[in-house]
Amino acid sequence: MSTERPSKEDILRPIQRTSRGYYILLGIATLAFGLFLVGWMYQLSEGMIVTGLSDWGSGGGVTWGLYIGAFIWWVGIAHGGIILSAAVRLLGMERYMPVARLAELLTIAGLSAAGFFIVVHLGRPDRMVTSIIGHYHITVHSSPLVWDVTVITLYLVLTATYLALTLRYDITRLRDDLPNHFEPIYKVMTIGYSEKEDLIVQRMVWWLALAIIILAPLLLHGGVIPWLFALIPSMPGWFGAVQGPQFLTIALTSAISGVILLSYGFRYSYDWQHIIADDVFRGLTLWLGFFSLLFLWLQLQQVVGGTYAAPLDQSTVVSAMISAPIYITSMTLVFLVLVYTFVQAVRPSLFSKKRSVVAAVAVLTATLLEKILFVVEGLMYPTFSIYGAVPGSYWPSLIEFASITGTIGMVTMFFLLVSKVVPVVELHAVEHLQEDHGHERSGDGGAETEVEA
Amino acid sequence: MNADDDSTGSPDSFHPLGDEWERELEELLEESDYDADLGMEMARDAMEVTKGELSEAEFHERYHDDVMEEFGQDDRPTEAALEELESDAGLDGSVSEALAAFGDDGAVDRREVMKKMGAGAAFLGLGAWATMDETDPSVDAAAAQDDESEDGTQWGMVLDLERCDGCLSCVQACADENQLDSGVNWMYVLDWEDPDEQLDTGRQRLIRPCQHCTDAPCEKVCPTTARHTRASDGLVLTDYDICIGCRYCQVACPYGVNYFQWNEPGVSADALDEDHIYSDRGRPVDSRAPRGVMSKCTFCPSRQDGNMGEEMVGSTACEDACPPNAIQFGDMNDPESAPQQYREDPPLQRARSMASDDDDELQEAIDIIDGEEEPAEDAEDGMTEAEARAMIDDLGGTADSTFKLLEEIGTNPNIVYVGNEPGPNAEQVGGPIQYDELSYENVEEEMVQLADERKDVTDEGTVGEYPL
Ligand code: SF4
Ligand code: SF4
Repeated sequence: MSTERPSKEDILRPIQRTSRGYYILLGIATLAFGLFLVGWMYQLSEGMIVTGLSDWGSGGGVTWGLYIGAFIWWVGIAHGGIILSAAVRLLGMERYMPVARLAELLTIAGLSAAGFFIVVHLGRPDRMVTSIIGHYHITVHSSPLVWDVTVITLYLVLTATYLALTLRYDITRLRDDLPNHFEPIYKVMTIGYSEKEDLIVQRMVWWLALAIIILAPLLLHGGVIPWLFALIPSMPGWFGAVQGPQFLTIALTSAISGVILLSYGFRYSYDWQHIIADDVFRGLTLWLGFFSLLFLWLQLQQVVGGTYAAPLDQSTVVSAMISAPIYITSMTLVFLVLVYTFVQAVRPSLFSKKRSVVAAVAVLTATLLEKILFVVEGLMYPTFSIYGAVPGSYWPSLIEFASITGTIGMVTMFFLLVSKVVPVVELHAVEHLQEDHGHERSGDGGAETEVEA
Repeated sequence: MNADDDSTGSPDSFHPLGDEWERELEELLEESDYDADLGMEMARDAMEVTKGELSEAEFHERYHDDVMEEFGQDDRPTEAALEELESDAGLDGSVSEALAAFGDDGAVDRREVMKKMGAGAAFLGLGAWATMDETDPSVDAAAAQDDESEDGTQWGMVLDLERCDGCLSCVQACADENQLDSGVNWMYVLDWEDPDEQLDTGRQRLIRPCQHCTDAPCEKVCPTTARHTRASDGLVLTDYDICIGCRYCQVACPYGVNYFQWNEPGVSADALDEDHIYSDRGRPVDSRAPRGVMSKCTFCPSRQDGNMGEEMVGSTACEDACPPNAIQFGDMNDPESAPQQYREDPPLQRARSMASDDDDELQEAIDIIDGEEEPAEDAEDGMTEAEARAMIDDLGGTADSTFKLLEEIGTNPNIVYVGNEPGPNAEQVGGPIQYDELSYENVEEEMVQLADERKDVTDEGTVGEYPL
């Protein structure tokens, strides 16, 4: 652990220093995103036929595929991110304070990517606003898709509020060191700021965090997102009560992985050893292992339930699932991560940040594969399986593949650009770290549970 | 909209929706224990209130005494009940919305709502309801279930799987009528076998149009109300102008009857006959879908709405095309309709369609069973009822079992099958005629070849070639 004293100069570094690596990464990200945009334009001009999707039933295809799988994946990352940050604020897990804002930004970026996938998935995106808003008062009573749109919007607003409120504090105090060409942005963001609001904002943020922690499992990734599938009785691969908890664990593993990658990237680029300490990575790795365990446990429930003496339709889809190479790959990856977390907990010398980064990439790959497979296999093995063309077949088109790299590029771009405008680590976090340094430290700084309120 | 048009001119009706509404309202009130005349009078004045010609205070003043007499108290049930209704439905909009919401989830019907509101509130409530915009598709969704339980029309089919010979004429006729692309088989016919179960009687075939479910999951999940059920006749349709192409309806339909328009349809919009696209409410619901929206079997709404002439009402393209009359389309709520008659006595209807005109003996047997001719008391005097029955059954087969497809899922389908029900293990096998053997000429004078699997067609547009 570094003994260097954290300062506000540290968190300003991304804004003031732009390396060659930055430009290269920005170039790659822009290229990936641009490539997908071109593919999407082509899809808009030709129709959804450019995808590998088709009609299920006599048609021999599946009608939802990679786009929807990737949508859930991004929503999961986003929702996990906000749960993480809310937990940090609510439970005063100060050790993770330096990554809280990264998690919030990940939420905004992830929700944007997810929202983008909805638009990309539609046959008539041009009508989205008029058709959905125009009949909202009717459809909100019955359509899970409308619930989804509602809750995602709600969360976007909550997270943005959250971020905006905490950014005001930072911007006001760091204003003199921030670049002048963004002046209008800072002006707007700090309109009407006075020091009197700090305390109120602290309270508001705390309440917002509470709302998020309560709503997330009930409504979000434990609710409306899985209900999109779990409420359809004629698709046995989807139907059932386990999907809520299952989705939530997948969301949390993905989000923790995302935060590990971001933390590592920023620490590496801006020498933040003393800000995002090794402890943070160790802690995140443990959490990752814990949620991987839950993830596998819920998979086990489904596999055992679906193979022992399940109804015909359910046992068909579960046996197809467990013999699918993608499923085996995905579960193996998560299992290996679990093994790694376990052994590094028992023998701390086996821990390294690079290994944790590998684990994070493995989990993100596994959850993406699992989500796409979940959507596709659900549709391939319906209850009404009489058609010769059931199960159908599906392999994503190049444009669909490009959507994955494209949205990853988009999220990367988001971070690269945002980190040039505002500090991605809270000033509060640095202040806390400074206090810690000031004190005679007797133990683990993360054990402190005082909430500033 | 149509109702509006008829009624605005009618001087006797205070309702914007006309006599029919008024009569229905009166009937509903008659059924309640309260004074129907008072109710009607209040409703009439309630309309004035909604029009702003009478103030609410005046309204209450006018009826205070009567209401006291009728209900024992006048606690302004109208306002309280409306508030309750609105908060129950979670809406702050109009009563019409609130009522629509009730109808929508099917749990509470109009009558229960009335009971709940108290008759006094119902007078006002229905008055306000009548001002509801009929063009709103939610109206259909809301009132659909009512109509089913009352005696409105509910289009449906009886499909005789024993008579279907798998010629695919219906599939072809449907594609032709609606100008469908290759592989868009709104009507689909398949042969099946069950590896676990050898049936020794009857055919193993299935005719599969949309089931026009009364509790249609496709409608329930639709985020836009594009997929809707018409109140007037129970048709489940897609409004091509509202659908955003999310494909959730296709996912939620247990039967796999939906076909998405993945690319530009083969026939352009200009080439289509307008009368074959728009329903009588002016919504585009018929013929092939435009690009990016969902389509499925429609039960030919432009025929049912009279766009094709009165003689086409109550018929569908597939029914007309079926050589052995295996398809019977009609009003499932009418015991006299063709499908209900068929369901009653399949052998008789089969014999009727098989009998040639000059087969006097058979015609006599049909007339006897039909009740149009008196049977002989005993065999020496002529044909007895037993003889006639035997003759019919000999030709038409004995009555077969009937079933609805996947009834246990709770969709409440409006198609009744006569014949063998495929079990959960049943698998499609090749039929007597292959889909690609058939084709039709579209209105742009191009030949369209039918295809069994739509994916074979859509794969041609997929970007990137793959081994799978
Ligand atoms: S069969 Fe399918 S598409 Fe037709 S009404 Fe029922 S659920 Fe909807
Ligand atoms: S595809 Fe169209 S009709 Fe179907 S659920 Fe989506 S918006 Fe509704």
